[in-house]
Amino acid sequence: MNILPQLIINSIIAGSIYSLVALGFNLIYGTTKFFNLAHGVLAAIGGYAVFYLTKSLDLPLIPSVIIGMLVAGLIGYLIDKSVFRVLRKRKASGMVFLVASLGIMTALQAVIAIIFSSQFQTLSTGSFKVYEIGGGVITQVQVIILGLSILIMFSLVILLKFTRFGKAVRAISDDEEVSKIVGIDTNKIIGRIFFIGSAIAGLSGILVGFDTGIEPGMGLSLLLKGVIASIIGGIGNVYGGVLGAFLLGFIENFGIWKISGEWKDAIAFGVLLIFLLFRPQGIIKK
Amino acid sequence: MEYFIHLGVLVSIYAILAMSLNLVVGYAGLLSITQAAFYGIGAYASAILITSYGMNFFLSILIGMAIAALAAFIIGYVLSKFDGDYFALGSFGFNIIIFSIFLNWQGLTRGPLGIPGIDRPSILGFTFSDNISFLILSVLFAGAIYFISQFIVNSSFGRVLKAIREDEKAIQIFGYKTHWYKLIIFMIGAMIASIAGSLFASYITFIDPSSFNLNESIFILSIIILGGLANNKGAVWGAVFLILLPEALRFVGFPTDVAAQMRQIVYGLILVFLMLYRPQGLMGEYKL
Repeated sequence: MNILPQLIINSIIAGSIYSLVALGFNLIYGTTKFFNLAHGVLAAIGGYAVFYLTKSLDLPLIPSVIIGMLVAGLIGYLIDKSVFRVLRKRKASGMVFLVASLGIMTALQAVIAIIFSSQFQTLSTGSFKVYEIGGGVITQVQVIILGLSILIMFSLVILLKFTRFGKAVRAISDDEEVSKIVGIDTNKIIGRIFFIGSAIAGLSGILVGFDTGIEPGMGLSLLLKGVIASIIGGIGNVYGGVLGAFLLGFIENFGIWKISGEWKDAIAFGVLLIFLLFRPQGIIKK
Repeated sequence: MEYFIHLGVLVSIYAILAMSLNLVVGYAGLLSITQAAFYGIGAYASAILITSYGMNFFLSILIGMAIAALAAFIIGYVLSKFDGDYFALGSFGFNIIIFSIFLNWQGLTRGPLGIPGIDRPSILGFTFSDNISFLILSVLFAGAIYFISQFIVNSSFGRVLKAIREDEKAIQIFGYKTHWYKLIIFMIGAMIASIAGSLFASYITFIDPSSFNLNESIFILSIIILGGLANNKGAVWGAVFLILLPEALRFVGFPTDVAAQMRQIVYGLILVFLMLYRPQGLMGEYKL
């Protein structure tokens, strides 16, 4: 096993997962303009939904993954409907949204821990193939991760660019008030955005679950990476988020070439600080 | 009785933490989600200095405060250029990083094993070994910090902070270098939180990283949001209420690990419901 090709493969895989988190996060940030800290816990919900479906109900893999995404999406939608919509109506400040999402994250994470215990569990059934590319090793799961994230990215771009729905989303991102005036049902569109963004977050949690494993707090570190990726790429910008995610994946994995892997989070945070100091608007400015 | 004394010590420690965070969130309007990091820095500084170097507790408090201030300076220097969301997020990330340092720098902190055998404070030959004397000590600390906080917020410095909170641009026009004010109050908050950490370490006599994770920061934030922002009395009452509330849950009879998670659910829901129905908290003078 060669170190350099392996690092490149690891970076790309990490980048794909972060970009999924960043995509959903940016989508929600773009329309609602607040940092949704509850976004990470939806990844955990997706992962645990699949865990329950495959291990307890013995459902086959692909339906389980689809149901897992729908569950995450639905819960995201319900959170928006029951909390954020009320706050929007009252024109609450961004900080109020942020604290509310923090509360939701704390509560849901504890609910997961009560139902499924805090132990680390894996979704993988163990019989996945391993391929070799240019001296590095890549598992079948990782190939699927890469494929799915590219698929999701392109579908999202098409959805936002070429559909009526996408037009409405972009209008709300530019100015929610004016969109309302011209007759866009902003609450409905934002509700759908929460559904889509949360389902994508759910998928990222599921994929992490197959690649390494799930635990109730997993959403936190995924969220942090997704947010850092969004900020360094350019917040609220879908392409920027993806770019930032891959950049972060590479920096993180090459950063631990010489030092131990536990410092990945610290490296990611260091990157964030450097960007906040020198280029707070991110790579692609919106 | 011993049980009530124990609760009294915890309330004092959390009241100190709440007042320290209230200076930053309530008076300066900076949503900081990282107070547990400074709390942990104080706790680890005292724990390591007392167990490895046999240093006096009161001296270790000062060194803990200095380290916390330095850490707050480094992170605050970057974050004080921002406010609102970015500040919240940066501080949130900082807590995760400090937690991972506590967990992974095993040569210094012994990682998940924690540091046992921390001595109780002693001064001039008197040791605060029983809980009642420790309660008196921690109440004295909390009282002193209450007066210091009141002094800070009523001083001209405190008035500038409130002005920054209400309208940063306007006060900048008057020539105030607002980011220095934000940085200084952030460092003061960090130093006070580190005092609470030192007290906690020597009270429990054992610390491990799990006491200083993000949930702890969220808990401290819930205290001040519930008690009311920009009100030191509110911070103290919030601490009393939120420490005693889960103790009531204890008598319902959940198993220990479920009870711990139930507490998180309660804190989370308190935050959500306050944001929905009363964003200024119970006695607050400032709405987020």
